[in-house]
Amino acid sequence: MSESGPSSHSHLAPGTPLCAGCGGLQALQQLYRVLGDKTVVVNAAGCMTLLSIYPFTPFAGSWLYTAMACAAAGAQGVRDALDIQLAKGRISSAEDLATVVLTGDGSAYGMGLSATSAALDRGLDFLYLCYDNEGYGNTGHQYSSATPRAAHTATSRVSGYAGSKKDLFAIWAAHRPSYVATAIAAEPQDLARKVKKAAALRGPRLLLVLAPCPTGWGFDPALTVKVGQLAVETGIWPLKEYVDGRAVHTKIPRQRTPLAEYLRLQGRFAHLFSPQPDEQRLAELQQAVEDYWQQVTE
Amino acid sequence: MYRIRLHGRGGQGIKTASRILGTALFRSGFEVQDAPRYGAERRGAPIFAYVRADDKVICERGLIHQPNLVVVADETLFDLPAANVLEGLDGRAVLLINSERSAQDWCRQLQLPGQVTVLDGAAVVREAGRVPAGALCVGAAARLLGVVSRRALLQAVAEELAGHDAAAIQTSQQAVSQAYELFAGEAGLVQRLQSGAKKSVTTPPKWVELDCEALPRAAPTITMAATSALVKTGLWRTRRPRIDRALCSRCGLCRTLCPEGGIDLDGEGYPVIDYRYCKGCLLCAAQCPRRAIAVADERTVSPPQPKEGEP
Ligand SMILES: Cc1ncc(C[n+]2csc(CCOP(=O)(O)OP(=O)(O)O)c2C)c(N)n1
Ligand code: SF4
Ligand code: SF4
Ligand code: SF4
Ligand SMILES: [Mg+2]
Repeated sequence: MSESGPSSHSHLAPGTPLCAGCGGLQALQQLYRVLGDKTVVVNAAGCMTLLSIYPFTPFAGSWLYTAMACAAAGAQGVRDALDIQLAKGRISSAEDLATVVLTGDGSAYGMGLSATSAALDRGLDFLYLCYDNEGYGNTGHQYSSATPRAAHTATSRVSGYAGSKKDLFAIWAAHRPSYVATAIAAEPQDLARKVKKAAALRGPRLLLVLAPCPTGWGFDPALTVKVGQLAVETGIWPLKEYVDGRAVHTKIPRQRTPLAEYLRLQGRFAHLFSPQPDEQRLAELQQAVEDYWQQVTE
Repeated sequence: MYRIRLHGRGGQGIKTASRILGTALFRSGFEVQDAPRYGAERRGAPIFAYVRADDKVICERGLIHQPNLVVVADETLFDLPAANVLEGLDGRAVLLINSERSAQDWCRQLQLPGQVTVLDGAAVVREAGRVPAGALCVGAAARLLGVVSRRALLQAVAEELAGHDAAAIQTSQQAVSQAYELFAGEAGLVQRLQSGAKKSVTTPPKWVELDCEALPRAAPTITMAATSALVKTGLWRTRRPRIDRALCSRCGLCRTLCPEGGIDLDGEGYPVIDYRYCKGCLLCAAQCPRRAIAVADERTVSPPQPKEGEP
């Protein structure tokens, strides 16, 4: 790699200020290898905003910052501008760029949902990447509506988050978009296949990636992949996709690992295990996973 | 007034350390301010926090530019100019370093006018158990101030760690107390300075005129691709992954999984770690199916400053 940047334009350059072992950055590395620099990344405030701090950026292609609520509206502006340039013959279709939204769960599940829903109504041609670290990571990990039940966050300190994780996959699917998928960087092949599929389609598309966050979840950065694998093996993070009006699981963990093995690795759930294991709450959390898979047929 | 700055890296408990010290001073009857610097509380990244304490209302705000005590929980920060560890250290200030090296050694290296004292945190941890560097330093710092009783200090530890399990709190208290004891001979070394606003010593920035675009489009624009490669995040690393080619099967998994994009393949398909950027998360070592990635303590394998293009 030369001082002026990487020779290849299809990966994210190193040197970013994100935490060591960041599961979100790990996913973005894998995604960018497929998407490449012929993209405009529209990024709402969150940890990933720190990627591009003037004058540094890891992106080989374009990047634009928006406020937390408006990434999807920003994407509309970018798409419209490109379409006008195309219509006026100022750029050729070979020079066209894909519009990619990049936000955390705080935006995707909460603050930005209204603008996103409106973009879905309009059938905006864009790919939405949400790295879901289940909290407001950038500001010290307060809870968001993606925070799982019982997790400790900076704003749910005493006995953990009292709400339940919102089902963003279902909310998106209810809009009947072109594509919705969940993924995780710990399953790189599944992730790569889904990005390729999403990139080849037109219209509104969502890739919802669970992003194990050593800092906010409280685990050693070396365990990022282990935690991600357990999220899949315990069944708490189902891998699935919605396409042509149907939701299909891409991996069904038939022999599910007990959820406690996933929870135990993370400081945010430590209160469920000590001073004594909170058997009742652990059983409730396990039951919620069972209930989910009970209704899964494909 | 006491003006105390604590430096460390994200993950070393610097924010908690500043809170413990603040609470201990409050319990000792002082007016107190404590705050971490907001924005960069990322694991491995330099971070600082500060504490002010006085016997009257504190009207001063903002960063501390003229400290009377500077605590450095991580000695590798001296190699990072951006960490600004030595800012405002004058002849009266005390510098406390968490290090196995001697104070004389540091004095010689740093050539400072003030007093340097050293806490061998590693030795305390060996005896008392694993405790974040920040907390250890607080034990020593409290004694250096000479106005915080052991009781107030230990109560502050319990208060600030409430929510952690009892065993962890006890280990912390033991370690903090041991660090406090080690500094009995230096109790009160830190001199209280006159309160009252000092003249600001912030030097105005040297403005550089940048060419900018026409006003309607004058947001800062980066037109060069992938400039972050100029930032050498390898400096964050405290432990180093090392690939053993004899064991490696060239499956490429470590390259796919590295969050930093810090692993490339050589001509023969073997992975090569770029230590200029590797942050030392060690997930590659944890995941390698052949156990071909070993882990070494960074200090034993290289000087603190990684060399350009180092393999
Ligand atoms: C309207 C608004 N409220 C609050 C903030 C402060 N803020 C900046 S980043 C952030 C957290 C965003 O959380 P998420 O989208 O999950 O991204 P993460 O930080 O976890 O990467 C917040 C609350 C903001 N920028 N805008
Ligand atoms: S706080 Fe979590 S999501 Fe944010 S950069 Fe750190 S590890 Fe990544
Ligand atoms: S994961 Fe292990 S075996 Fe595979 S390429 Fe990396 S070092 Fe070699
Ligand atoms: S420890 Fe391994 S995975 Fe982590 S940054 Fe370094 S090379 Fe990448
Ligand atoms: Mg988030």
